[in-house]
Amino acid sequence: MAKGALAMPDAARRYWWAAFGIASVLVLVLAGSLAVLLWRGLGIWGINAPVGWGFAIINFVWWIGIAHAGTLISAILLLLRQNWRSGVHRLAETMTVVAIGCAALFPLLHMGRPWLFFWLLPYPNSMGTWPQFHSPLVWDFFAILTYGFVSLLFWYLSLLPDLAVLRDQARSRRGRIAWCLAALGWRGSARQWETHRMACWLLAGLATPLVVSVHSVVSFDFAVSLVPGWHSTIFPPYFVAGAIFSGLALLIVLVVPLRALVGLGERITESHLDAMAKVLLAAGLVVTYGYAAELFFAGYGGSPYERYALANRLSGPYAPAGWALVALNVVAIQALWFGAARRRPWRLFTVALAVSAGMWLERFLIVVVSLHRDYLPAAWGIYRPTFWDWATLAGAAGWFAWLMLLLVRFLPVMPVAAASPQREPAAGSDDTARAVHPGTRPYGLAGVFTTAGQLVEAVRRARVEGYRRLDAFSPAPVEGLPAVLGAPRVRLSPAMFAGGLAGAFGGLLLQFWSNVIDLPLAVGGKAAASWQAFVPVTFECAVLGAALGALAAMAAATGLPEPHHPVFAIPGFERASRDRFFLLIETADERFDSLRTRDFLERSGAQEVHEVPG
Amino acid sequence: MPQILPPSANLAVRLALVGALGAGPALLWLFSSLGGSSWVTRAGEAPVQPVPFSHKLHVGGLGLDCRHCHWWVETGAVAGMPSAKTCMHCHAQVFSDAAPLEPVRSAFDGDRSIEWVRVADLPDFVSFDHSIHVRKGFACVTCHGRVDLMPLTEQPVAMTMRWCLDCHRNPERYAWPVEQVFRMDWQPEGDPVALGRRLVREYGLRRPTDCSFCHR
Repeated sequence: MAKGALAMPDAARRYWWAAFGIASVLVLVLAGSLAVLLWRGLGIWGINAPVGWGFAIINFVWWIGIAHAGTLISAILLLLRQNWRSGVHRLAETMTVVAIGCAALFPLLHMGRPWLFFWLLPYPNSMGTWPQFHSPLVWDFFAILTYGFVSLLFWYLSLLPDLAVLRDQARSRRGRIAWCLAALGWRGSARQWETHRMACWLLAGLATPLVVSVHSVVSFDFAVSLVPGWHSTIFPPYFVAGAIFSGLALLIVLVVPLRALVGLGERITESHLDAMAKVLLAAGLVVTYGYAAELFFAGYGGSPYERYALANRLSGPYAPAGWALVALNVVAIQALWFGAARRRPWRLFTVALAVSAGMWLERFLIVVVSLHRDYLPAAWGIYRPTFWDWATLAGAAGWFAWLMLLLVRFLPVMPVAAASPQREPAAGSDDTARAVHPGTRPYGLAGVFTTAGQLVEAVRRARVEGYRRLDAFSPAPVEGLPAVLGAPRVRLSPAMFAGGLAGAFGGLLLQFWSNVIDLPLAVGGKAAASWQAFVPVTFECAVLGAALGALAAMAAATGLPEPHHPVFAIPGFERASRDRFFLLIETADERFDSLRTRDFLERSGAQEVHEVPG
Repeated sequence: MPQILPPSANLAVRLALVGALGAGPALLWLFSSLGGSSWVTRAGEAPVQPVPFSHKLHVGGLGLDCRHCHWWVETGAVAGMPSAKTCMHCHAQVFSDAAPLEPVRSAFDGDRSIEWVRVADLPDFVSFDHSIHVRKGFACVTCHGRVDLMPLTEQPVAMTMRWCLDCHRNPERYAWPVEQVFRMDWQPEGDPVALGRRLVREYGLRRPTDCSFCHR
């Protein structure tokens, strides 16, 4: 296996194994409780009338909320040009993808018969039925599906150059093949970097409204119903802020120990922690505003049921949870007004841990405490989680930790491609020029440069000389290189727009046809064609279509995946992902002449010139 | 740096990627076609009965009326299966010692039921009433097929919900005059569309598609 991008000290390695051991035990606990669940059914959980939504829904909302912080840091802060994100964004994106995986587990299990999950999908079936697109639960399914796909795409895209680094540093043959496939043939050409930069930017623009929509839709699961304590218009913004709040808290919980163990102190500095703490505080204050708004509306709105639901949270049978929530989510974060709490990692860690627990309690309060006493006192009841509820909760946390530990260990948690270009080359890289088979025409000539400036200058001179079939490869994007190369501009937005439009129309058509024409069912006294209900799914389909369009346009612009390419045969090309810059002039160029072109490259400052076998 | 993978890897990886993206729709297509397929629904398969009873012989050949054996059909939710006594009305004299009829005789002697295997079996979560369908002009043949041509009885079409809904939405396509519903080979005279519309009006046929209409 390739050495991950992290050089782990021995002490860290021991801690890693200890943590991995604990996480593995919890994964076994999860596997066991899932097996029991599938064998015996949902009855092993504490859910029953009146509380039909127990730990599964709490955990789902908690995990999906955690995912949001990753998108916030990778997308929203990218758009806002907040540079402090660079130290933590990979970790945050990884956390997002893993947290979505954990979140998606729970609604599936909650269905009782998870193997029939595809009944949620719109497809022509033998029942002649369609998903009920007036229902927030169906919106949720589409939102999570789109969010999962876009997050995965975003994560993988930003990882791609680093996977190429791992490929080029891999020592075993198996590792090389694995990383080569994973990197999809990334070679760091000017066009690939240009596409990469643009795609990250556009996907960030796409992910920003998406992340707001996802937790809004999750909040609709509650707010669209009539249960006192749920039926509230403050829910969408309050949920989105709560999601960012809990996600940032968990990110800090992950970052602080990692930073201490692996010695990331110089990459994730106190000022990074300070910035995260400030955003945490801001999100916490919005959440506090949400609590205040709930209290205000319950008091001012005059509905005795709403008023009782709120009073019940702080004085009913679950009052300890209510007060703990206030202590953890409202009081604890007040420490973050002070630099001494923001800049001391372990103090910040303690606050973040409190918030993580507090936000779980918040979902407990919303889900359980609202349901256990609603309109009809005769139907009131107490919810008691069973052993299997706790086991599944702990197991899912273990599953999250297990995946995170593996990803942190084997994938670069820090973007390496742009990190340390002056690293030592891996031992054993063979720099001997390969004999070109006589008789086959070589692909071109490649000059090796040591700085980006030399490369840009060489490209400029090549253009002046009249060379047109050029390509340049670098370990990081080089400012101005695409312009000097004279390559046509990379355009991804038309494909994204077309994909988005197709997705929106497709989604709208699907909903109208299935729910208005083919199977009109009256729900909640609304007309079948009440279009407002179709907005969320139309939006999610548009985003999904745009992401697919971006994917197609990226593939078209870069030619990826292309794990085999002639340039990989250039001796020393593995340094193109580390500290060398390559200029390739193809044999197919009209002005190509093996002697004169070689001479040109040498004159332009190339350290070495290699023939690229065809 | 030597090449890690051969040129053919490019095509393989691209195909794999397209395959991965296409796997979702392909699976949906599989579920969608599998759900209603006869492999799942067992439509068109004749289950093994205790007695190899032939509707072809009894209905097609002898011309017995459906109600001769299924005599609850006009008043009950289920059409009913013939008791051993019903069989013995004739088989006390006809083929009275034929070997295949042994289960009938022993059931009759022991005052037990014949354990017929249900051919048209709806799931328990749907409520279906024969009497209302028969009295509102829906013929036996419409759902059970031409049993008068079946040596061994089978359910010719899968009784899926989509199939039920087709008639519940478009009763004019399937309604017969009520006095013809026990006929096997009745054909409408004149314009069947006009007849269907007239019957829908005459019998006051609604188009019940609410969930709770059948799933009570």
